Amino acid sequence: MGVTCVCQVPVAEGKSVQQTVDMLHKKLEQLGAVKQGNFWVDCETYHATGNATGQPSKLLYVMHNSETPLSCMALFEGGPGLSADANFDVLMVKLKSHFQNAKGHKVESRGARYRYCDFLVKIGTVAMSSSARGISVEVVMRSVEYCACVIPGDCWNLMKEFMQSFLGSNTPELPTVFTNKPEGLCVPVDCMDTMSQYLELFSKVRKQQVMPGSGVR
Amino acid sequence: MEAPPVTVMPVTGGTINMMEYLLQGSVLDQSLESLLHRLRGLCDNMEPESFADHELVYLLKGQQGNPFLLRARRSLLHPTAPWHLRYLGQPEVGDKSRHALVRNCVDVAASHSLPEFLNEMGFRMDHEFVAKGQVFRKGMMKVVVSKLSRVLVPGNTENMEPLSLSYLVELSVLAPAGQDTVSEDMRSFAEQLKPLVHLEKIDPKRLM
Repeated sequence: MGVTCVCQVPVAEGKSVQQTVDMLHKKLEQLGAVKQGNFWVDCETYHATGNATGQPSKLLYVMHNSETPLSCMALFEGGPGLSADANFDVLMVKLKSHFQNAKGHKVESRGARYRYCDFLVKIGTVAMSSSARGISVEVVMRSVEYCACVIPGDCWNLMKEFMQSFLGSNTPELPTVFTNKPEGLCVPVDCMDTMSQYLELFSKVRKQQVMPGSGVR
Repeated sequence: MEAPPVTVMPVTGGTINMMEYLLQGSVLDQSLESLLHRLRGLCDNMEPESFADHELVYLLKGQQGNPFLLRARRSLLHPTAPWHLRYLGQPEVGDKSRHALVRNCVDVAASHSLPEFLNEMGFRMDHEFVAKGQVFRKGMMKVVVSKLSRVLVPGNTENMEPLSLSYLVELSVLAPAGQDTVSEDMRSFAEQLKPLVHLEKIDPKRLM
Protein backbone atom coordinates (compact mmCIF):
# COMPACT_ATOMS: atom_id res chain seq x y z
CA MET A 1 0.00 0.00 0.00
CA GLY A 2 1.29 3.42 -0.92
CA VAL A 3 0.24 7.06 -1.00
CA THR A 4 -3.10 7.42 -2.77
CA CYS A 5 -4.89 10.43 -4.19
CA VAL A 6 -8.59 10.08 -5.05
CA CYS A 7 -10.60 12.73 -6.87
CA GLN A 8 -13.39 13.47 -9.27
CA VAL A 9 -12.61 14.20 -12.91
CA PRO A 10 -14.92 16.67 -14.63
CA VAL A 11 -16.77 15.24 -17.61
CA ALA A 12 -15.27 16.65 -20.83
CA GLU A 13 -17.42 19.22 -22.59
CA GLY A 14 -19.90 17.67 -24.96
CA LYS A 15 -18.98 14.14 -23.83
CA SER A 16 -20.84 11.59 -21.78
CA VAL A 17 -19.51 9.98 -18.61
CA GLN A 18 -18.61 6.81 -20.52
CA GLN A 19 -16.85 8.75 -23.26
CA THR A 20 -14.78 10.61 -20.66
CA VAL A 21 -13.81 7.31 -19.03
CA ASP A 22 -12.84 5.84 -22.41
CA MET A 23 -10.77 8.92 -23.18
CA LEU A 24 -8.82 8.54 -19.92
CA HIS A 25 -8.28 4.83 -20.61
CA LYS A 26 -6.88 5.68 -24.02
CA LYS A 27 -4.54 8.33 -22.59
CA LEU A 28 -3.22 5.86 -20.00
CA GLU A 29 -2.68 3.17 -22.61
CA GLN A 30 -0.80 5.65 -24.77
CA LEU A 31 1.45 6.39 -21.80
CA GLY A 32 2.27 2.71 -21.56
CA ALA A 33 0.06 1.75 -18.61
CA VAL A 34 -1.15 -1.86 -18.60
CA LYS A 35 -4.69 -2.84 -17.65
CA GLN A 36 -4.70 -5.21 -14.66
CA GLY A 37 -8.29 -6.21 -14.02
CA ASN A 38 -11.00 -4.16 -12.40
CA PHE A 39 -11.59 -2.53 -9.05
CA TRP A 40 -14.54 -1.68 -6.83
CA VAL A 41 -15.07 0.33 -3.66
CA ASP A 42 -18.41 0.43 -1.91
CA CYS A 43 -19.88 2.28 1.02
CA GLU A 44 -22.91 1.47 3.15
CA THR A 45 -24.40 4.06 5.48
CA TYR A 46 -25.78 3.23 8.91
CA HIS A 47 -27.54 5.49 11.33
CA ALA A 48 -28.08 4.95 15.02
CA THR A 49 -31.70 4.19 15.80
CA GLY A 50 -31.62 6.21 19.00
CA ASN A 51 -29.33 6.36 21.94
CA ALA A 52 -29.99 6.63 25.63
CA THR A 53 -27.83 9.71 26.05
CA GLY A 54 -30.03 11.72 23.70
CA GLN A 55 -27.07 13.19 21.80
CA PRO A 56 -27.41 13.60 18.03
CA SER A 57 -25.76 10.58 16.46
CA LYS A 58 -23.29 10.64 13.62
CA LEU A 59 -23.57 8.50 10.52
CA LEU A 60 -21.47 5.36 10.41
CA TYR A 61 -19.99 4.34 7.07
CA VAL A 62 -18.87 0.78 6.35
CA MET A 63 -16.65 0.48 3.28
CA HIS A 64 -14.97 -2.27 1.24
CA ASN A 65 -12.13 -2.01 -1.21
CA SER A 66 -11.15 -4.63 -3.80
CA GLU A 67 -7.45 -3.98 -2.99
CA THR A 68 -8.09 -5.46 0.47
CA PRO A 69 -10.97 -7.87 -0.23
CA LEU A 70 -10.96 -9.56 3.18
CA SER A 71 -11.08 -6.30 5.12
CA CYS A 72 -13.82 -3.95 6.03
CA MET A 73 -13.29 -0.30 6.94
CA ALA A 74 -15.70 1.52 9.24
CA LEU A 75 -15.57 5.28 9.59
CA PHE A 76 -17.34 8.15 11.24
CA GLU A 77 -17.21 11.37 9.25
CA GLY A 78 -14.36 13.35 10.75
CA GLY A 79 -14.09 10.80 13.55
CA PRO A 80 -12.18 7.63 14.30
CA GLY A 81 -11.90 4.82 11.77
CA LEU A 82 -11.56 1.11 12.25
CA SER A 83 -10.15 -1.52 9.94
CA ALA A 84 -11.44 -4.98 10.66
CA ASP A 85 -11.92 -8.31 8.92
CA ALA A 86 -14.98 -9.13 6.84
CA ASN A 87 -16.85 -10.45 9.90
CA PHE A 88 -17.51 -6.84 10.85
CA ASP A 89 -20.34 -6.95 8.27
CA VAL A 90 -21.88 -9.88 10.16
CA LEU A 91 -21.59 -7.87 13.37
CA MET A 92 -23.44 -4.95 11.77
CA VAL A 93 -26.32 -7.35 11.00
CA LYS A 94 -26.40 -8.31 14.70
CA LEU A 95 -26.43 -4.62 15.58
CA LYS A 96 -29.42 -3.85 13.37
CA SER A 97 -31.62 -2.87 16.27
CA HIS A 98 -29.10 -0.13 17.13
CA PHE A 99 -27.71 0.77 13.70
CA GLN A 100 -29.99 0.75 10.69
CA ASN A 101 -28.69 0.38 7.16
CA ALA A 102 -29.83 3.31 5.02
CA LYS A 103 -30.42 1.13 1.95
CA GLY A 104 -30.94 3.96 -0.53
CA HIS A 105 -27.57 5.44 0.42
CA LYS A 106 -25.33 2.74 -0.99
CA VAL A 107 -22.61 4.27 -3.14
CA GLU A 108 -20.13 2.34 -5.18
CA SER A 109 -17.34 2.96 -7.56
CA ARG A 110 -16.31 0.48 -10.25
CA GLY A 111 -13.91 0.61 -13.12
CA ALA A 112 -10.62 -0.46 -14.63
CA ARG A 113 -7.32 -0.77 -12.83
CA TYR A 114 -4.11 0.18 -14.62
CA ARG A 115 -0.49 -0.26 -13.64
CA TYR A 116 2.27 2.03 -14.82
CA CYS A 117 5.59 1.08 -13.19
CA ASP A 118 5.08 1.84 -9.47
CA PHE A 119 1.81 3.67 -10.05
CA LEU A 120 -1.61 2.12 -9.76
CA VAL A 121 -4.30 4.12 -11.55
CA LYS A 122 -7.99 3.39 -11.24
CA ILE A 123 -10.51 5.06 -13.50
CA GLY A 124 -14.12 4.42 -12.80
CA THR A 125 -17.55 5.79 -12.21
CA VAL A 126 -19.22 6.50 -8.91
CA ALA A 127 -22.82 5.44 -8.86
CA MET A 128 -25.44 6.06 -6.27
CA SER A 129 -28.98 4.96 -6.63
CA SER A 130 -31.78 5.98 -4.42
CA SER A 131 -34.58 3.49 -4.63
CA ALA A 132 -36.93 5.97 -3.00
CA ARG A 133 -36.51 8.53 -5.76
CA GLY A 134 -35.34 6.36 -8.61
CA ILE A 135 -32.44 8.69 -9.36
CA SER A 136 -29.05 7.45 -10.38
CA VAL A 137 -26.01 9.70 -10.35
CA GLU A 138 -22.78 8.86 -12.05
CA VAL A 139 -19.53 10.78 -12.00
CA VAL A 140 -16.04 9.96 -13.20
CA MET A 141 -13.43 9.31 -10.54
CA ARG A 142 -9.85 8.33 -10.59
CA SER A 143 -7.43 7.18 -7.96
CA VAL A 144 -3.65 7.25 -8.32
CA GLU A 145 -1.51 5.28 -5.93
CA TYR A 146 2.26 5.42 -5.77
CA CYS A 147 3.02 1.99 -4.34
CA ALA A 148 6.70 2.58 -3.63
CA CYS A 149 6.31 5.13 -0.82
CA VAL A 150 4.15 5.66 2.26
CA ILE A 151 5.23 9.23 3.13
CA PRO A 152 3.12 11.81 1.25
CA GLY A 153 5.74 14.55 1.73
CA ASP A 154 8.35 12.43 -0.08
CA CYS A 155 6.39 11.53 -3.19
CA TRP A 156 3.69 14.12 -3.75
CA ASN A 157 5.67 16.10 -6.37
CA LEU A 158 6.36 12.93 -8.32
CA MET A 159 2.67 11.93 -8.15
CA LYS A 160 1.61 15.39 -9.26
CA GLU A 161 3.92 15.29 -12.25
CA PHE A 162 2.62 11.86 -13.22
CA MET A 163 -1.02 12.96 -12.91
CA GLN A 164 -0.35 16.05 -15.03
CA SER A 165 0.72 13.75 -17.87
CA PHE A 166 -2.80 12.46 -18.35
CA LEU A 167 -5.07 14.85 -16.43
CA GLY A 168 -3.50 18.14 -17.55
CA SER A 169 -5.13 21.09 -15.85
CA ASN A 170 -7.43 18.81 -13.84
CA THR A 171 -4.56 17.65 -11.60
CA PRO A 172 -5.76 17.91 -7.99
CA GLU A 173 -4.05 19.55 -5.05
CA LEU A 174 -2.60 17.54 -2.16
CA PRO A 175 -5.56 15.78 -0.47
CA THR A 176 -6.65 17.48 2.74
CA VAL A 177 -6.56 14.15 4.59
CA PHE A 178 -2.75 14.48 4.52
CA THR A 179 -2.47 18.23 5.11
CA ASN A 180 -4.89 18.15 8.06
CA LYS A 181 -2.75 15.70 10.02
CA PRO A 182 -1.20 17.31 13.09
CA GLU A 183 2.05 15.44 12.40
CA GLY A 184 2.26 16.89 8.88
CA LEU A 185 3.25 15.11 5.69
CA CYS A 186 6.07 13.07 7.20
CA VAL A 187 3.98 10.30 8.81
CA PRO A 188 3.24 7.08 6.94
CA VAL A 189 -0.20 6.78 5.37
CA ASP A 190 -2.61 3.96 6.20
CA CYS A 191 -5.65 2.46 4.49
CA MET A 192 -7.93 4.86 6.39
CA ASP A 193 -6.42 7.85 4.55
CA THR A 194 -7.45 6.29 1.23
CA MET A 195 -10.91 5.35 2.46
CA SER A 196 -11.53 8.86 3.89
CA GLN A 197 -10.81 10.27 0.43
CA TYR A 198 -13.31 7.87 -1.14
CA LEU A 199 -15.82 8.82 1.54
CA GLU A 200 -15.29 12.50 0.86
CA LEU A 201 -15.87 11.91 -2.85
CA PHE A 202 -18.97 9.80 -2.18
CA SER A 203 -20.43 12.53 0.07
CA LYS A 204 -19.85 15.01 -2.74
CA VAL A 205 -21.70 12.72 -5.17
CA ARG A 206 -24.56 12.42 -2.71
CA LYS A 207 -24.85 16.21 -2.57
CA GLN A 208 -24.83 16.38 -6.36
CA GLN A 209 -27.76 14.01 -6.37
CA VAL A 210 -29.72 16.63 -4.51
CA MET A 211 -28.60 19.46 -6.78
CA PRO A 212 -27.87 18.05 -10.25
CA GLY A 213 -25.27 20.25 -11.89
CA SER A 214 -22.55 20.22 -14.48
CA GLY A 215 -20.64 17.03 -15.07
CA VAL A 216 -23.36 14.88 -13.65
CA ARG A 217 -25.59 12.60 -15.59
CA MET B 1 5.88 -3.13 -4.31
CA GLU B 2 3.64 -5.33 -6.47
CA ALA B 3 -0.06 -5.15 -5.66
CA PRO B 4 -1.99 -8.36 -6.33
CA PRO B 5 -4.29 -8.25 -9.33
CA VAL B 6 -7.83 -7.85 -8.08
CA THR B 7 -9.27 -10.30 -10.59
CA VAL B 8 -8.10 -13.16 -8.36
CA MET B 9 -10.63 -12.82 -5.61
CA PRO B 10 -10.35 -15.02 -2.56
CA VAL B 11 -13.40 -16.83 -1.30
CA THR B 12 -14.96 -14.97 1.57
CA GLY B 13 -16.90 -16.90 4.15
CA GLY B 14 -18.01 -13.96 6.25
CA THR B 15 -21.66 -14.86 6.45
CA ILE B 16 -21.32 -18.39 7.84
CA ASN B 17 -23.30 -18.58 11.05
CA MET B 18 -20.77 -19.83 13.62
CA MET B 19 -21.81 -21.28 16.95
CA GLU B 20 -19.76 -21.66 20.08
CA TYR B 21 -20.20 -24.91 22.00
CA LEU B 22 -19.02 -24.39 25.56
CA LEU B 23 -18.43 -26.29 28.80
CA GLN B 24 -17.02 -24.56 31.87
CA GLY B 25 -15.53 -25.50 35.20
CA SER B 26 -12.83 -24.46 37.64
CA VAL B 27 -9.95 -25.88 39.64
CA LEU B 28 -8.35 -24.64 42.83
CA ASP B 29 -4.84 -23.18 42.46
CA GLN B 30 -3.29 -26.16 44.24
CA SER B 31 -4.81 -28.62 41.73
CA LEU B 32 -3.63 -26.71 38.67
CA GLU B 33 -0.47 -28.73 38.08
CA SER B 34 -2.27 -32.07 38.01
CA LEU B 35 -4.84 -30.72 35.55
CA LEU B 36 -2.14 -29.28 33.26
CA HIS B 37 -0.31 -32.62 33.44
CA ARG B 38 -3.47 -34.47 32.45
CA LEU B 39 -4.19 -32.04 29.60
CA ARG B 40 -0.64 -32.44 28.27
CA GLY B 41 -1.28 -36.15 28.08
CA LEU B 42 -4.76 -35.96 26.51
CA CYS B 43 -4.37 -33.09 24.05
CA ASP B 44 -2.57 -32.80 20.74
CA ASN B 45 1.14 -33.28 21.00
CA MET B 46 2.28 -29.69 21.05
CA GLU B 47 3.46 -27.21 23.63
CA PRO B 48 0.47 -25.41 25.16
CA GLU B 49 0.36 -21.76 24.17
CA SER B 50 0.65 -19.23 27.00
CA PHE B 51 -1.37 -16.06 26.84
CA ALA B 52 -2.07 -12.90 28.84
CA ASP B 53 -5.07 -10.98 27.55
CA HIS B 54 -6.77 -7.79 28.68
CA GLU B 55 -10.51 -7.99 28.08
CA LEU B 56 -12.85 -4.99 28.08
CA VAL B 57 -16.58 -5.62 28.10
CA TYR B 58 -18.63 -2.92 26.36
CA LEU B 59 -22.37 -2.26 26.57
CA LEU B 60 -24.57 -0.36 24.16
CA LYS B 61 -27.79 0.66 25.81
CA GLY B 62 -30.74 1.27 23.56
CA GLN B 63 -34.04 2.90 24.38
CA GLN B 64 -35.61 -0.50 24.87
CA GLY B 65 -34.63 -4.11 25.32
CA ASN B 66 -31.45 -5.61 26.66
CA PRO B 67 -28.14 -3.81 26.23
CA PHE B 68 -25.94 -5.07 23.41
CA LEU B 69 -22.72 -6.58 24.72
CA LEU B 70 -19.35 -6.82 22.96
CA ARG B 71 -16.04 -8.12 24.26
CA ALA B 72 -12.81 -6.50 23.10
CA ARG B 73 -9.56 -8.33 23.83
CA ARG B 74 -5.95 -7.42 23.32
CA SER B 75 -2.87 -9.48 23.93
CA LEU B 76 -0.48 -8.18 26.57
CA LEU B 77 2.27 -10.51 25.31
CA HIS B 78 1.92 -9.38 21.68
CA PRO B 79 0.99 -5.70 21.89
CA THR B 80 1.19 -5.16 18.11
CA ALA B 81 -1.24 -7.99 17.31
CA PRO B 82 -4.76 -6.94 16.21
CA TRP B 83 -7.52 -6.55 18.79
CA HIS B 84 -10.13 -9.28 18.98
CA LEU B 85 -13.77 -8.22 19.09
CA ARG B 86 -16.34 -10.84 20.00
CA TYR B 87 -20.11 -10.94 19.94
CA LEU B 88 -21.82 -13.77 21.83
CA GLY B 89 -25.52 -14.38 21.35
CA GLN B 90 -28.04 -15.65 23.86
CA PRO B 91 -27.63 -19.35 24.71
CA GLU B 92 -29.91 -21.56 22.66
CA VAL B 93 -32.72 -23.01 24.69
CA GLY B 94 -34.81 -26.01 23.88
CA ASP B 95 -32.77 -29.13 23.36
CA LYS B 96 -32.08 -30.26 26.93
CA SER B 97 -30.36 -33.43 25.69
CA ARG B 98 -27.54 -31.34 24.22
CA HIS B 99 -24.47 -31.61 26.42
CA ALA B 100 -22.97 -28.17 25.84
CA LEU B 101 -24.09 -24.57 25.96
CA VAL B 102 -24.61 -23.37 22.37
CA ARG B 103 -24.58 -19.72 21.36
CA ASN B 104 -24.03 -17.67 18.28
CA CYS B 105 -20.54 -16.21 18.01
CA VAL B 106 -18.99 -13.55 15.74
CA ASP B 107 -15.23 -13.01 15.95
CA VAL B 108 -13.73 -9.94 14.36
CA ALA B 109 -10.07 -8.97 14.16
CA ALA B 110 -9.79 -5.20 14.42
CA SER B 111 -7.24 -2.41 14.42
CA HIS B 112 -5.95 -0.70 17.56
CA SER B 113 -8.44 2.15 17.27
CA LEU B 114 -11.16 -0.26 18.50
CA PRO B 115 -11.81 1.26 21.99
CA GLU B 116 -12.05 4.77 20.57
CA PHE B 117 -14.30 3.52 17.76
CA LEU B 118 -16.64 1.64 20.11
CA ASN B 119 -16.97 4.78 22.22
CA GLU B 120 -17.93 6.76 19.14
CA MET B 121 -20.55 4.10 18.33
CA GLY B 122 -22.09 4.74 21.73
CA PHE B 123 -20.69 1.72 23.58
CA ARG B 124 -19.49 2.27 27.12
CA MET B 125 -16.99 0.11 28.96
CA ASP B 126 -18.76 -1.87 31.67
CA HIS B 127 -15.93 -3.86 33.22
CA GLU B 128 -12.48 -5.15 32.43
CA PHE B 129 -10.24 -8.00 33.54
CA VAL B 130 -7.00 -9.75 32.69
CA ALA B 131 -6.91 -13.45 31.82
CA LYS B 132 -3.58 -15.27 31.99
CA GLY B 133 -3.18 -18.91 31.20
CA GLN B 134 -2.60 -21.61 28.66
CA VAL B 135 -4.41 -22.94 25.62
CA PHE B 136 -4.48 -26.63 24.71
CA ARG B 137 -5.98 -28.15 21.58
CA LYS B 138 -7.43 -31.48 20.70
CA GLY B 139 -8.63 -31.56 17.12
CA MET B 140 -11.16 -28.80 16.82
CA MET B 141 -11.62 -28.60 20.60
CA LYS B 142 -9.92 -25.84 22.55
CA VAL B 143 -9.19 -26.02 26.26
CA VAL B 144 -8.34 -22.75 27.99
CA VAL B 145 -7.06 -22.76 31.56
CA SER B 146 -6.82 -19.22 32.85
CA LYS B 147 -6.52 -17.08 35.95
CA LEU B 148 -8.80 -14.08 35.98
CA SER B 149 -7.64 -10.88 37.67
CA ARG B 150 -9.50 -7.74 38.52
CA VAL B 151 -7.98 -4.49 37.19
CA LEU B 152 -7.76 -2.14 40.18
CA VAL B 153 -7.04 1.11 38.33
CA PRO B 154 -9.08 1.38 35.09
CA GLY B 155 -6.91 0.68 32.07
CA ASN B 156 -3.80 -0.12 34.12
CA THR B 157 -2.98 -3.79 33.65
CA GLU B 158 0.08 -3.54 35.94
CA ASN B 159 -2.13 -3.06 38.95
CA MET B 160 -4.46 -6.00 39.52
CA GLU B 161 -5.49 -8.69 41.96
CA PRO B 162 -6.70 -12.26 41.39
CA LEU B 163 -10.47 -12.63 41.28
CA SER B 164 -10.45 -15.93 43.16
CA LEU B 165 -8.27 -18.76 44.39
CA SER B 166 -9.05 -20.89 41.37
CA TYR B 167 -8.49 -21.19 37.65
CA LEU B 168 -11.27 -21.06 35.05
CA VAL B 169 -11.33 -24.04 32.70
CA GLU B 170 -13.23 -23.75 29.42
CA LEU B 171 -13.69 -26.39 26.75
CA SER B 172 -15.03 -24.88 23.54
CA VAL B 173 -15.54 -25.58 19.85
CA LEU B 174 -16.45 -23.16 17.10
CA ALA B 175 -18.54 -24.83 14.42
CA PRO B 176 -21.21 -23.91 11.87
CA ALA B 177 -24.77 -24.12 13.20
CA GLY B 178 -26.36 -27.55 13.33
CA GLN B 179 -23.26 -29.66 14.02
CA ASP B 180 -24.57 -31.08 17.26
CA THR B 181 -22.33 -34.16 17.25
CA VAL B 182 -19.65 -31.74 18.46
CA SER B 183 -21.23 -31.63 21.90
CA GLU B 184 -20.99 -35.45 22.14
CA ASP B 185 -17.22 -35.30 21.56
CA MET B 186 -16.94 -32.55 24.15
CA ARG B 187 -18.85 -34.58 26.70
CA SER B 188 -16.62 -37.62 26.28
CA PHE B 189 -13.50 -35.44 26.55
CA ALA B 190 -14.88 -33.77 29.68
CA GLU B 191 -15.48 -37.25 31.15
CA GLN B 192 -11.78 -37.96 30.81
CA LEU B 193 -10.89 -34.90 32.87
CA LYS B 194 -12.96 -36.05 35.83
CA PRO B 195 -12.41 -35.95 38.78
CA LEU B 196 -9.75 -33.25 38.34
CA VAL B 197 -12.32 -30.86 36.93
CA HIS B 198 -16.05 -31.10 36.34
CA LEU B 199 -16.89 -29.31 33.10
CA GLU B 200 -20.54 -28.38 32.90
CA LYS B 201 -23.06 -26.62 30.75
CA ILE B 202 -23.44 -23.35 32.63
CA ASP B 203 -26.06 -20.84 31.62
CA PRO B 204 -24.55 -17.37 32.14
CA LYS B 205 -28.03 -15.92 32.75
CA ARG B 206 -28.30 -18.03 35.90
CA LEU B 207 -25.25 -16.26 37.35
CA MET B 208 -26.57 -12.73 36.80
